[in-house]
Amino acid sequence: MEQKLRDGAKTLLEEGKVDYIIGFEPGSLKFTTTPLITKNKDDVDRLVINPFIKNNLSVFLTELKGRVGIVAKGCDSRSIVSLIQDKQVARENIVIMGIPCPGIIDLKKVELLLGRDRDEVDDITRDGDKVVITVEGKKTEFPTTKLLFDNCLSCESPTPQEYDVLLDETSPLVTDSAASREKIKTLEAMPQEQRWEFWKEKFDHCIRCYACRNVCPACFCKRCFVEESQPQWVLPVPRWQDNLIFQVIRNIHVAGRCTDCGECERVCPVNIPLRSLTKRMYEIVDELFQYKSGMDKEAPPLMSHYEQEEAEGLIR
Amino acid sequence: MEQESEWEPKLLGFLCRWCSYAGADLAGTSRKKYPANIKIIKVPCSGRVDPLFILKALRMGYDGVLVSGCHPGDCHYQTGNYRARRRIVITKKFLEYMGVDPRRFQASWVSASEGVKFTEVATEVTKELSEIGANQLFVDGK
Amino acid sequence: MATSSKINKGDLGELLKKWSEEFTVFVPQQEDGKAILAQWDGTDTSFLEGYRNTVKPSKANFFPPMEEMFRFQKDSEGHHIEPTVSDKHKQLIFGIRPCDAKSLAILDMTFKDLYEDPYYLPKRNNTILVGLGCLRPYDSCFCTSLGINPAESTDVDVMLTDIGDQFLVEPISEAGKELVAKASQLEKATKADEAKAKEVKEASYQKVTRKIDTGGIKDKLLASFNNQDFWESIAAKCISCGICTFACPTCYCFDINDELVKKQGARFRSWDSCAFPIYTKMPMENPRVEKWRRVRQKVCHKFEFYPMNFDTIACTGCGRCIRFCLVNWDITQTLDKLPV
Repeated sequence: MEQKLRDGAKTLLEEGKVDYIIGFEPGSLKFTTTPLITKNKDDVDRLVINPFIKNNLSVFLTELKGRVGIVAKGCDSRSIVSLIQDKQVARENIVIMGIPCPGIIDLKKVELLLGRDRDEVDDITRDGDKVVITVEGKKTEFPTTKLLFDNCLSCESPTPQEYDVLLDETSPLVTDSAASREKIKTLEAMPQEQRWEFWKEKFDHCIRCYACRNVCPACFCKRCFVEESQPQWVLPVPRWQDNLIFQVIRNIHVAGRCTDCGECERVCPVNIPLRSLTKRMYEIVDELFQYKSGMDKEAPPLMSHYEQEEAEGLIR
Repeated sequence: MEQESEWEPKLLGFLCRWCSYAGADLAGTSRKKYPANIKIIKVPCSGRVDPLFILKALRMGYDGVLVSGCHPGDCHYQTGNYRARRRIVITKKFLEYMGVDPRRFQASWVSASEGVKFTEVATEVTKELSEIGANQLFVDGK
Repeated sequence: MATSSKINKGDLGELLKKWSEEFTVFVPQQEDGKAILAQWDGTDTSFLEGYRNTVKPSKANFFPPMEEMFRFQKDSEGHHIEPTVSDKHKQLIFGIRPCDAKSLAILDMTFKDLYEDPYYLPKRNNTILVGLGCLRPYDSCFCTSLGINPAESTDVDVMLTDIGDQFLVEPISEAGKELVAKASQLEKATKADEAKAKEVKEASYQKVTRKIDTGGIKDKLLASFNNQDFWESIAAKCISCGICTFACPTCYCFDINDELVKKQGARFRSWDSCAFPIYTKMPMENPRVEKWRRVRQKVCHKFEFYPMNFDTIACTGCGRCIRFCLVNWDITQTLDKLPV
């Protein structure tokens, strides 16, 4: 699969079909990959595909000028479709090299299960529905579902929705939807005040680094509402009240464009369970309007569409 | 005679200029009574209301927010209230999930001739807010 | 004059309790597998198991993410300003690593330069640092290339080294000597203990495998300043989120905002980042609109401008920027790729 990708990418650049190639190359830390954005066809030999290609590369599409050849997993391709729906990206300007994804391994889960940090692990190899981890020469097996990212566990489209080239056959993805929304289930079972207190406590840790916003492909506003000072909606000061408002509004603003790629939760440096917000919003949108983001590039975006009659029971 | 200072709920209303605001005005000229707890902000259309306003109002200490617009199909700008409907509804459900009492944010369709309906809405919402109690959502140090 | 002592690991709780009488003690508490500097709960010493380094850098204790500067109000008598009184209580930070301790010394240079910062310095003067040498540096650490030993420090008041069942305790500063003299849980260290500590320190030094070449880095950066192609390729994958600057123990940029409600309010300062696109936005223009300029400025600030002003590289090799970066942008790779 990797060789097919490298050859394909090289051809695209050589034939002048794209100006940039965006893919994954090995990172500088163990079990990490990093985005490769290049115009140079020799760099393309560094492209890799492995169980650690976690980034959602579509976040770069709104800033690169020119035609782009992009490597996309299932969830990434939905973000791309969402961007096409919002007219932020023209379909003819991108060449999507799709990867049917069997799930990405969450290193945080690995570290928690092993009680070790990733740089002290010798090897992590995926073998179908098992993952074999070697620490100091000793091998241990774990079921894959215990180590995949939460959003992988409820993946609805492991094969890209939209692609120009499919790099492999569709691969099976073992899902565990219940596990994927466990945290949400716990929250829903809590009484109202307790839920608010839970979020209050979590957002006390927020330092407003805006990693969640910057890594999100759906957050492509040139000027975010938090940067407005006339009027000033939220101060940049990281008080829990303002942090909470920032995140709630961010979720409402990306409703219908968020595809639950899970990047926001992965990147938060203080481990706020952001997916418990984004996934719930995803579900709300589905329940109310039977709309799943990023599935159909011809569909109008959620918030610019309406039906004559809908959601009436909630308004007097 | 001294007035007892008893807590009264503070309600902020975003009323669309063409229908709901006119409806509220009609309630006034018809001398229909409704509680004075509501403070009204006139917006050109219910579609102008960004969920940010609602959160900001709650943050500033209002006990409840009401958004009111033209009936679906009657919007002066054709589609504004349809857009508002989608936004309002997801905001309501999301806030409820976060732990905010759903009665704190309410919406209604009130046309320019529905002075009576507006008084009913304002009275009912104010009553519900008095039942829930003061907004302590964004208060520090508990 | 053998000044070092040692303490049994089991007695650490007693020592911290003693210190808690005079200081507010901060330790690296474990939370969900990550270490966060928090006030010691008074009993539990298990935080040392698996401790490598904290998530938030130690600058957060002196230069917090959010700080109230003063309050103001207007009434019938005019305007009143009420400066926020800083907490006079003395702090003790236990378990700080040499890289973070050095970062405080680097920050001092800025906060004392020309204008003495009235919020940072009182906290700094009121704090005792008890350092703990690293046994397990991360693979992202590169402190040794910046002249820092992961297990030794002259920027702390007392230095601890793990020698098995005990810690070797070395007072470094005068305040450290006082602190150690008052502690009854310590016993004198033997020559064997000191030798073992020396071994441990050497081993830690060797474990730091990531290296950068700081030779002539100032000049290399000066020479590549206008090399737009180079900086564009370096900056391509950055998403300007600012995490690196927030996690960095030597970054100190801050924003100042006023909040006004009716006739009263307060002025706050909070962490800001040169990575944000609007960081240099001014009414007329924004000199760093393009991402590659911001990335270039971040690298040059740390390795060229700071050395020009203070003769010190503003980096301690703690590796947080590498660990936290969402796209694994790596400053060591950038410096390696600098055109010669």
